[in-house]
Amino acid sequence: MPLGAYLTLAALVFAIGLFGVLTRRNAVGILLGIELMLNAVNINLVAFARFHADLAGILFTLFTISITVAEVAVGLAIVIVIFRVRRTVEADHLDLLRG
Amino acid sequence: MTGRVGADDLALLVLGLPFASFLLLALVRPLRRSAPAAAVVSIAAIALAFVGAYLTLQWSVHRAAAVNPSTTWSWIPADGGPMATVGVMVDELSMLMLLLVTLVSLLVQVYSWAYLADEPRSSLGRYYAYHSLFAFSMLGLVLSPTFLQMFIFWELVGLCSYLLIGFWYDRPAAARAAVKAFWITKLGDLGFVAGIVMLWSVTGTFDFWTLFTMGSMGTLPVEALPPIMFLIYLGAVGKSAQFPLHVWLPDAMEGPTPVSALIHAATMVTAGVFLVTRAFPLFRFAPDVLTLMAWVGAFTALLAASMACVEGDIKRVLAYSTISQLGYMMAAAGAGSPEAGFLHLLTHGVFKALLFLGAGVVIHVFHTNDLFRMGGLRGQPVVWLPFVVATLALAGVPPLPGFFTKEAILAGMLEVHRWGPFTLLAVTAFLTAFYMFRVVFLTFFGRPHHSGPAHHHVPWLMHAVCWALAALTLARGLQVAFFSGHHAGEGPDWLPAFSLTLAGAGILLAWAMYQRALVDPARVAAVLRPIDWMARRRYGLDALFAGLYRAILLGFARLIGWIDRYLVDGVLNALSAWTLRAGDRLRRLQSGQPQDYVYGVAFGALLLFVLAQWRLR
Amino acid sequence: MTAEMLAFAGVAVVLLASSLGVVLTPNLFHAILYLAVALVATGVVFLLLDAPFLFGVQLLLYAGGVVTIVVFAIMLTERLVGTSIRQTSRYLVNGALVSLAVFVGVVGFLVQAPPSAPRPAWPGDLTVAVGQALVGAFAVPLELLGVLLVIALLGALYFARSEG
Repeated sequence: MPLGAYLTLAALVFAIGLFGVLTRRNAVGILLGIELMLNAVNINLVAFARFHADLAGILFTLFTISITVAEVAVGLAIVIVIFRVRRTVEADHLDLLRG
Repeated sequence: MTGRVGADDLALLVLGLPFASFLLLALVRPLRRSAPAAAVVSIAAIALAFVGAYLTLQWSVHRAAAVNPSTTWSWIPADGGPMATVGVMVDELSMLMLLLVTLVSLLVQVYSWAYLADEPRSSLGRYYAYHSLFAFSMLGLVLSPTFLQMFIFWELVGLCSYLLIGFWYDRPAAARAAVKAFWITKLGDLGFVAGIVMLWSVTGTFDFWTLFTMGSMGTLPVEALPPIMFLIYLGAVGKSAQFPLHVWLPDAMEGPTPVSALIHAATMVTAGVFLVTRAFPLFRFAPDVLTLMAWVGAFTALLAASMACVEGDIKRVLAYSTISQLGYMMAAAGAGSPEAGFLHLLTHGVFKALLFLGAGVVIHVFHTNDLFRMGGLRGQPVVWLPFVVATLALAGVPPLPGFFTKEAILAGMLEVHRWGPFTLLAVTAFLTAFYMFRVVFLTFFGRPHHSGPAHHHVPWLMHAVCWALAALTLARGLQVAFFSGHHAGEGPDWLPAFSLTLAGAGILLAWAMYQRALVDPARVAAVLRPIDWMARRRYGLDALFAGLYRAILLGFARLIGWIDRYLVDGVLNALSAWTLRAGDRLRRLQSGQPQDYVYGVAFGALLLFVLAQWRLR
Repeated sequence: MTAEMLAFAGVAVVLLASSLGVVLTPNLFHAILYLAVALVATGVVFLLLDAPFLFGVQLLLYAGGVVTIVVFAIMLTERLVGTSIRQTSRYLVNGALVSLAVFVGVVGFLVQAPPSAPRPAWPGDLTVAVGQALVGAFAVPLELLGVLLVIALLGALYFARSEG
């Protein structure tokens, strides 16, 4: 398969993830969308690494995965704390930054 | 133009003394607050100025025709010589005026000290400051060698008139009168300034001497002169209360009586006549304007005289009389004999001032201005003798000066065959004698009409000044009759007898109507009902001006107010409202919900895509 | 149609379908399950790209760790509420439009790219190469990654402490 196919696939998954981020009500649901987006990025990185025989892409992916795991952990911890305080995880109700 | 020329440094001293007095009184507050000190400063300054004026005349020397009588220093620089100069022109005309102005100012200021004795101290200081400023302005006006300088002092004189008429500024009538005087004379001044600017644009100079020389050498653009001289004449119309801008003078009587004596009899109102006399070599090139001047002057004289016949306030009668006599002077100039008019100005200044000051004495005695509440002073010649002397002078009875100067004017009118103005002036002479003696009979002789206690004590100072002026009037008359001699054979032989008859008839009629009650004034009024009705309402002119003022000025003010509120403020308010509204709308972008911010990021990314695509192309 | 192309097509279908499931399903718990499938599918894509090591990492960390964490989080937040949360999303059309626009933007760049060359040969074993790089050229990032993980751990602990 040519490089373009992989990249297109990644772009689709990215778009779907973005859709999820924009439309999900639950905070956890938003995080799931973010996961999809990061996944798409990883596919991109590996595809480029393969088609240019560059190891850096693979390593980048490794790091990305690790960081994503850490980010999910902390993010969910925050969600739980918000839930504790506000008794809701609906994104519509989390508007403390309102101007 | 031969004549005499005086020392300019003396003239500058005469000019500077009242100015120094004004500065002193204006800036040094304790001096002003102490009325005696203020009076001393002001009177001393004007007395010294009078001495200076007298000496200037005494020590003046003859001047050949081609010598410039003025001394100037450049003021507004421009290429090819200064655009405007300042200086003094000390020729016969200005020296005589210097003498008149300083003399009458001195006497009036001394008289004021007694007349305004009840005035609060600090405001009396203000009074004397204004007097000094006025003296300075009037002296500067008569000494001006250029139109521009004269205009500046002209406006200053107008300002002083406003300040002095409205001296009792907490009286609404006085404040209104001051404003009215200012507005009406300002109308004339508009013409004046337009005229002198146009004159400058066609000739390139404001200077009198230069203009006169150009006129005599024929380098003056004479085709352009008539409209220019008409505009300049308008200034004189305003200041010298010619029809139709005469309406301010009767109302100006709201000011203190000494002020009326000074500026509305002898000095300020004569500025217009002075202007015409000074600029006469230029007026010669505009014969139509001169004709207009003669007709307007004569008409004004008659109109004012008719209004004086039905007036009941003594000061107002004198105001109308002043308007009438100013009409005489302007008519004389219009007939081509400005010297006759100027001579009348000089003599009239003295005896009209005396009439006003004498009226002040009368007002002091009766505590009212109303003629019909006076009477019964026959046994007090100290009160009525000076006044009667002045009345005889005004009515034109020899050997008092009024007779000679009036006759000179009538003679001048006949010389140029202006029968219309002559007739008007002749009728006016009859009426003048009539209404003045009406005043005399009602005020002094005849049964006392006043209720309440009579004869309040009149300060001797006021009497002294009146007697001094009466003596001056008599002396002048005798001097003219026996020593000047230039009136003999001036006009046709029947003229002196004719004017004497007119005066006599007027006096007789007044005696019959008011002293002996042989003719009932009410029946005369009934016979002349239309004229009587119109004269009592001042021919509707006051109402006309008031209506025009309301319509034009207030309408304009409302328009400007509307523009200010809705356009200027409207723009600002709209801008601020839009800013607030825009801010409010933009604020809604900050919803606080993170997904909305992600939308923002996505839009930003899209924008970047588009930009990048564009770049690639 | 080579075997590789068939495999790619199949994995692509699974990936896309499960992604759509993640974002569209009303039940959050189903969403996380769909995500697990999507993550595995991504791992298979890595395999197709000759990166077996990453396949392993993906399965371990993502499909194992992340999914577990999220499941716990859902259970914690959902249970306390009492009902399973209905996911009626907001402004579906707007979101779809924006996502479509982003996709179109990216593809716009892709179509302008020159046709790609076929895959070059991989030099040596990937895993060995990765290992050598991690302790060689990329040692510092590796250590920093460790620091990051410690910080994340501490942060999570802090958030997890009970109040008072």
